[in-house]
Amino acid sequence: MQKSIDSNFIKTTCPSCGLLCDDILIGTFPDTIENACQKGIAFFTQKKSPITPSIAGKPATLTQAIAHTIDILKTAKNPIFAGLSTDLAGFRAVFHTAQQFKAPMMHMNAQSTWRNTKVLQSTGWQTTTLMEVKNRADVIVCIGTDVISHNPRFFERNVWNKQALFTDPQARDVIYLGGENLETSAGVSPSGKKPMVLPCKTESLPKITAALRALIQNKPLNATTIAGIAVKDLKIIAERLKQANYAVLIWVAKDLNFAHAELTIQNITESVVALNTKSRAMGLALGGSDGDTTVNYAHTWLSALAPGEQDVNQHDAMVWINSFSPEKPMPTTASPTIVIGNSNLQFTTPPAVFIPIATPGLDCSGTLFRVDSSIVLPLKQTRESTLPTLAEVMTQLDALLT
Amino acid sequence: MITLLKNAKLYDPAHQKNGVKEDIYIRNGHIIAKPSNTEKINKTIDLNGKVVMAGAIDMHSHIGGGKVNIARMMLPEYQEALRYSEPEAHICGPHCAHHATPSTIATGMRYIEMGYTAAFEPAVLAINARQAHLEMGDTPMIDKGGYTMLGNDDYFLRLLSEKADQKTINDYVAWTINATQAIGVKVVNPGGISAFKFNQRRLDLDENNAHYQISPRQILQSLSRAVHDIGIAKPLHVHCNNLGAAGNFQTTLDTMGASDGIPMHLTHIQFHSYAAEGDKKFSSAAAQIAEALNKNKHITADVGQILFGQTVTASGDNMMQHLNTKYANPKKSVIMDIECDAGCGVVPFKYRDENYVNALQWAIGLEIFLSVEDPWRIFITTDHPNGAPFTCYPHLIRLLMDKPFRDEAFAKLNLDAQAMSNLTSLEREYSLYDIATMTRAGAAKLIGLGDRGHLGVGAAADITVYTEQDDKEAMFSKPSYVFKDGELVVKDGEIIKVVWGKTHTAKPAYDQNIEKGLKDYFDKYHTIQLDNFKISNDEIAQDGRNQVINHTK
Repeated sequence: MQKSIDSNFIKTTCPSCGLLCDDILIGTFPDTIENACQKGIAFFTQKKSPITPSIAGKPATLTQAIAHTIDILKTAKNPIFAGLSTDLAGFRAVFHTAQQFKAPMMHMNAQSTWRNTKVLQSTGWQTTTLMEVKNRADVIVCIGTDVISHNPRFFERNVWNKQALFTDPQARDVIYLGGENLETSAGVSPSGKKPMVLPCKTESLPKITAALRALIQNKPLNATTIAGIAVKDLKIIAERLKQANYAVLIWVAKDLNFAHAELTIQNITESVVALNTKSRAMGLALGGSDGDTTVNYAHTWLSALAPGEQDVNQHDAMVWINSFSPEKPMPTTASPTIVIGNSNLQFTTPPAVFIPIATPGLDCSGTLFRVDSSIVLPLKQTRESTLPTLAEVMTQLDALLT
Repeated sequence: MITLLKNAKLYDPAHQKNGVKEDIYIRNGHIIAKPSNTEKINKTIDLNGKVVMAGAIDMHSHIGGGKVNIARMMLPEYQEALRYSEPEAHICGPHCAHHATPSTIATGMRYIEMGYTAAFEPAVLAINARQAHLEMGDTPMIDKGGYTMLGNDDYFLRLLSEKADQKTINDYVAWTINATQAIGVKVVNPGGISAFKFNQRRLDLDENNAHYQISPRQILQSLSRAVHDIGIAKPLHVHCNNLGAAGNFQTTLDTMGASDGIPMHLTHIQFHSYAAEGDKKFSSAAAQIAEALNKNKHITADVGQILFGQTVTASGDNMMQHLNTKYANPKKSVIMDIECDAGCGVVPFKYRDENYVNALQWAIGLEIFLSVEDPWRIFITTDHPNGAPFTCYPHLIRLLMDKPFRDEAFAKLNLDAQAMSNLTSLEREYSLYDIATMTRAGAAKLIGLGDRGHLGVGAAADITVYTEQDDKEAMFSKPSYVFKDGELVVKDGEIIKVVWGKTHTAKPAYDQNIEKGLKDYFDKYHTIQLDNFKISNDEIAQDGRNQVINHTK
């Protein structure tokens, strides 16, 4: 596992959000990081904790920790593998192990990704990918989101690019529709063209998106304002969308944090469907991190089913996997918990078992899907590490099971 | 370690063996000549005259990549479908599982259980190739490979519109095959997927893509020439313009002439063999298409037979699939534009025998099968899952081999459709030798797999043993034995050992200078680094699985 990094810099892929920027330069002599956003810098500069596995907070060997994990899982009637913050190799290994315990699996972002999956399984959708946005989009509508809170480099890389194949990037119209406290400065073009910003309370988004959909579908709308937004402004947006050469309607499922958000997403996706009867438009779901897209995709091809939401409290043991994000909270459960994850994870109460593992993109190589699907990128090892990979831990666990 | 298969009845068209009784010797995964008397035979299986063919090869089946996985994700109800009793079950028989979106694991398992030892994903989007290989890598039991999609990618269309010379095109095509670990090249609705992004809704063979001012014919000429020039065995795999549209047969006929005699393969030709006669303005052009196939020796085709029941259509052709969304059943669909490279459209379909169009589609496919004279140039496919799941192959084989069975099925079709088809007048019944040609020897020859699809000395020991039965569907559903690279993996239709197969690729030579222009293009317009576009052998062949085989000599 140990591998020394001896070149002057590495060009690598950043897994800290769903965009997977693959232009990150990491210099080793001296330590520098170029092109990364704050999220990326925090990821690549996280400290190395010289930590060993532990059982109930007491240091243990990896073999002991794995043996104790097996004891807990064998005793449990209905364990769950949750968190799943990992890359493809890690997920493949966890999937195999979870199968042996007939355990369901749930990603830490399931609550938000499931909003999208429900739309996909109900009506489907019409969507695009980042390179189409970068080269074609002349109208970009961010609905209920500023995008950059999740994907800091979205505008830098895909909107205000210097050159595009089929459009003038500087001339793009950026519109923020709905949402609260958005950081809209990224929507200002380099030449100073300001975006149209129409904020509303997050819980009003179902109304606003329904109204926009109705206007795009040429349905009568007997109101002058909806949730504080003038209908005449919505009409301007609808008209601009209809006139666009290639409109892109963006949402981030995590920002639509209210009951039945899937219906709001469906208003957006069905607006796109209506536009595409005459002109061209596409939807784009952004956000994403902790390997959520990767886990959703790989789970789907390995089992023929998309993974859903689960209640961890319905299970009598939990394996919590978190390779990427030590700051992300773990759900509380009264059942014994086995944590397999980043060496910087902190606990108020030590879990039954903790096994520190390598983080893909840092301590080991890896593979992740980008949030817009279709694009799969390799992650590189960018620092020396002796930590085992998740796949290595799972392989050892499987070997002890048989 | 030598295994002897004694008293085999060989159907091996590559060596003109039509039911001859012979022994087969296997060592180290390959078929060997009869060893000397001093060599020890470790295992002997007396086949007692059972039918022996090479492992079958599906030359066109959507087994991996983005759109297949979207179909799985979109259709959780299909996982229940196995328990439903379909109204169409009477026509499909007991062996047709109606399971259109199997997991990768199930895909490999169902193929090997039927005696198939390889399947080729025909629509690998270049930008999505890594996903396609990841999914194929998780497909056990069988060999895999893919055809990379070109002809709607903006890099190629720019080259063509800038009148780049053929050498540059050739280098780009060869580079892409290497980068995406493919064995062939496919073009889907040439120019049309790109045109749809510019809001064109149909594109005929001689109609220009509005932005690039180039026609599908020019694209076909350029790509078929490139594939030929760089020495790829597999002819350009062509999904014609106007998929599924009434009257599209003329486009298909014209497409046959578009390559100036350079070999091309027209895929799922059933979906491109429609005339627009009759009250319903939809009729069979199978006779015209078959006649043209018989005449144009440089053209091969697979049928893309439809069979009745629930399935899902997953195509790169988002232009035509967007038109099809109104027929979606259940009513949902996904249309995507993808990365200035391609697109996809996933639309669930339920083909019903009482529906005029569906019934005629069924008949058209069979009419083509039975009217094309040379079984070396026509291939058995359902365009899985678009026409039907691949698990329906034994049923389809019986339809081809058994006229009374076929006539019985025909009699249950929509009556108006019956009136528009000459199917019952086609007396032909395919022989075991013909089936072995279409599903083994011909497919291996087409793709350029020298050591597969036959039973000669030196061949990989992918061998399927069937027990001869009158009911050909039963016979082809459940082989007695299947050997994969010499290992016995299926016995009496049950898997007894899990293996992982190989990945078949071609690695044509190209001028390294092609990367200069590509690097500039990636830096300006792409969202990823050029180096990350390329897939290494090590990414595919992991843990001793899916070893990459290079078929370029």
